[in-house]
Amino acid sequence: MSWYTLPTNVPWLSLVLVVPLVGALLVVLTPSVAGRVIKQLGILTAVITLALVLAIIGGFQQGVGGLHLQFEEVLRWIPSLGISYHLGIDGLSLFLLGLNALLFLIAIIVTDSATPRLKEFILLLLILEAATAGILLALDLILFYVFWEAMLVPLYFLIGVWGEGRRIYAAFKFLIYTVIGSFAMLIAILAVAGINFSQTGQLSFDWTVLVQHPAAGVWHLPGSLGSVGIPQLLFVGFALAFAIKMPIWPLHTWLPPAYTASPVPVVIVFAGLVSKLGAYGFIRFNLSLFPDAAHSLGGPLAVLATIGILYGAVMALAQTDLKRLVAYASMSHLGFIGLGIFAGNLLGIEGALVQMINHGVIIAALFLVVGMIERRAGTRLRGELRGLGATAPLFAALFLVVSLAALGLPGLNGFVGEFLIMLGAWSSFLPLAVGAGIGVVLAAWYVLRFYQGSTQDAPPHPASFPELRILDVGVLAPLLALMVVIGISPGFFPAAVDATVKALPVILR
Amino acid sequence: MTINLSGLGIDYGAILPELIVVGTAIVVLFLDLVVPADRRGWLAGVTVVGLLAALAASFPLWGQDRAAFGDTVIADSLAAFFNVLLIAITILTALISPRFLRALDLDYGEYYILLLGATAGMMLLAAATSLMTIFLGIELLSVCLYVLSGFARTALRSQEAALKYLLLGGFATGFLLYGMALIYGATGSTTLRAIAAATTTAAASNVLLLVGIALLSVGLAFKVSAAPFHMWTPDVYEGAPTVVTTFMSVATKAAAFAAIGRIFIATFPSISSRWYFPLALIAIFSLFIGNLVAITQDNIKRMLAYSGIAHAGYILLGILPGTTQGFTATLFYIAAYAVMNFGAFAVVTAIGAGGEQTADLSYWRGLFYRRPFLATVMTIFMLSLAGIPPTVGFFAKLFVFQSLVTAQIWAPLVVAVIMTIVSFYYYLRVIVVMLAQPDGAVAENRVGFSTSTVLGAVAVATVFLGLFPSVVLDWASHAASLHF
Repeated sequence: MSWYTLPTNVPWLSLVLVVPLVGALLVVLTPSVAGRVIKQLGILTAVITLALVLAIIGGFQQGVGGLHLQFEEVLRWIPSLGISYHLGIDGLSLFLLGLNALLFLIAIIVTDSATPRLKEFILLLLILEAATAGILLALDLILFYVFWEAMLVPLYFLIGVWGEGRRIYAAFKFLIYTVIGSFAMLIAILAVAGINFSQTGQLSFDWTVLVQHPAAGVWHLPGSLGSVGIPQLLFVGFALAFAIKMPIWPLHTWLPPAYTASPVPVVIVFAGLVSKLGAYGFIRFNLSLFPDAAHSLGGPLAVLATIGILYGAVMALAQTDLKRLVAYASMSHLGFIGLGIFAGNLLGIEGALVQMINHGVIIAALFLVVGMIERRAGTRLRGELRGLGATAPLFAALFLVVSLAALGLPGLNGFVGEFLIMLGAWSSFLPLAVGAGIGVVLAAWYVLRFYQGSTQDAPPHPASFPELRILDVGVLAPLLALMVVIGISPGFFPAAVDATVKALPVILR
Repeated sequence: MTINLSGLGIDYGAILPELIVVGTAIVVLFLDLVVPADRRGWLAGVTVVGLLAALAASFPLWGQDRAAFGDTVIADSLAAFFNVLLIAITILTALISPRFLRALDLDYGEYYILLLGATAGMMLLAAATSLMTIFLGIELLSVCLYVLSGFARTALRSQEAALKYLLLGGFATGFLLYGMALIYGATGSTTLRAIAAATTTAAASNVLLLVGIALLSVGLAFKVSAAPFHMWTPDVYEGAPTVVTTFMSVATKAAAFAAIGRIFIATFPSISSRWYFPLALIAIFSLFIGNLVAITQDNIKRMLAYSGIAHAGYILLGILPGTTQGFTATLFYIAAYAVMNFGAFAVVTAIGAGGEQTADLSYWRGLFYRRPFLATVMTIFMLSLAGIPPTVGFFAKLFVFQSLVTAQIWAPLVVAVIMTIVSFYYYLRVIVVMLAQPDGAVAENRVGFSTSTVLGAVAVATVFLGLFPSVVLDWASHAASLHF
């Protein structure tokens, strides 16, 4: 990194937001009969965005700036309330931004050109890309909230209109869960700024300001019900929003229907990226704004995360529908990320950040594989699939790499994150590390059963499963490359993350 | 504190915008005699020109503090704020009216006269600083609206709406007037300035005064359709011609809240502990009833009526802290509500130009495929009413919630947040219905040029103010700094 220096007079981060929106505008202006043009426009937009993000990653300088934030942009937005348009990027958000650009490009490429109302589909995907990028870049709490909520609308439509099965139910359940969390966070945001105002006399929603004065105080409940620490209360407000988004057990019940109902392009960004935004929010806001509360509440949350690992793994074992299987596997893996965050030490948090990227790559690849199986075989029920490898050896080979990464084989990326997280959990909460270890074993079980059951054995007669096309290999290739690269040189990520985490006022165990 | 006794303080400049609006009404009255029946669209043009003149005359009032006519009206920033808002609403209403009226065969000149009369009453209400002028303003706007509600003379629903509105409105006016009489009895004056002075002294604990305020609140709560004084709203909104509903759902509420602000924030701050609880209760009631009953509505006009009751609750929340910050949030919310709710009803109007049975939600099935423009702008308005960024409705709720957090008012805040989540259900349901596959071909009518321009402009404003709320917020903040 920092291979070169980007010119400073260009609003790079704003461009990352603006390019997808300009693409969306162009899509709007294109007549809906020109399906090919619309899809090409979408791909072009996503490619430009990815190029921009790669340029930013390349130009990122480690350990520069007060909180190691770079490419900062501050504009007055609502000055009378201390709300500003403040963007910035650091080790927490850098690689997630890259993941964001990559997954959206893949999602648009794998979008079937025959999708009904393709124009609106691409349009919503591009708007969603801008919103999720905004979540990663926003440093003003209100700005963050605006992006956080703005993400909801396109997702709701993408599931509710283009979904399958009980799509409206799934979209609605997802929406209601998310909105409940969002409003808890909104009140917490207002309260954080209010408390900061009463302590410092400065009304600001800026993360860089708020992070310097962690909220303190005790709220005495009416009557003699005792008292609650205000930081703990605010922590819970934020945590609710992020825990629902991740999701952390037991707030996960929206997930299986939503992932199952989503069309493949949507579930790639949904599972691959959106779930990580909850984890990102935990580190960015919960750990840094309320270090005391994070320290005292980290333990219970780590327990919930571990339950999530085991619950997701056991449920994944029980599924016959491959899409549901991967959905629960995703939940189990997110439990690892949660465990790493709440372990509250450097190893754990680094591991969580690395695992966020890994999980995005692996889950996106798994859902792609499920999509390919379903499109070719016409079913995604585990019992009806066997011997796919006989007629499609290349497919089986690539699938094997993805599977091995998913179960955490050393040398591939899944191992790096899980290992760091286990080390972190080991030093903070030993029993939970053991529980997580059981989760790894279960993961090997359900992943290998999925792989072996579908690709090996004798194929049915007549064997009709066609081999991958160039395009299919093309979309899997960058993900597979990342799996190998991260697996071989794991030091690449933690270096950037390390400095940022140390700069935050996080209380490490 | 001084009452201008030299003469009566006659100052026509202070009420110039109101005078222009009334003058325009008189001009239209006479023009109606000479304009041929098929050219009544011209009357809308004259109305708009007159309103634009009144708009221009409102700007100089900004930043003034000009009490006139024996302290019964005032030309200040708050009055200017509401003048601009109300005139803008009326202009937009006049622009979408001709097509709708022609389609329903209601194209009569009296419509514009009554519209202007109601607007003048609302503007007077926003500028009123005496119980008498408040009453005058309310009556002027109410009488015009009673007639407008029943303007579809051959439609039974419209007649029913007008009669219901008239009877209940008359009843509410009785409360209002009786309250005013009691307040006068307790304080010995009708001007808000003198009443404010009196309440800081011994009169503050006067039972007469408190009962008077309570009755006055009932009358005003009726006008803003806050629960439990909301019973008329769904029926009248449903029965009145849609274009009239569009106008009165936003304009009446705005004007009445101007009076509520002048009364509770400026006149009775010294006894805020007395009115806080009943007002909070009304707000909470409105939030509950509006949001919960809206869920069950299958008629979009009735749904929007209950949503309007809910929004009256949100706006009232801004009054509760009794602070300038809270009142700023209230004013911003009123402006935001005016934009987004006008838009939503205007879409219903545009669709209703083909006939009046189209407010039923089943008609909206698959609207995205039949009329993508209308469905898209409706989606924006629904998202804004629900309070999802980046729309103006989000910041409206944000500012109100923030004023409550600052004032540490928790219980109403919690109710408001929970009810906001509930409201997502019925706003998004409209979008879901519009996205569903259409059942079959339904006869179409085209949207006229002026209507689609208005709709487009309002939708753009909804999003634009959702991205850049600062300008309007600063105006609201300036207008909210009342002092007597």
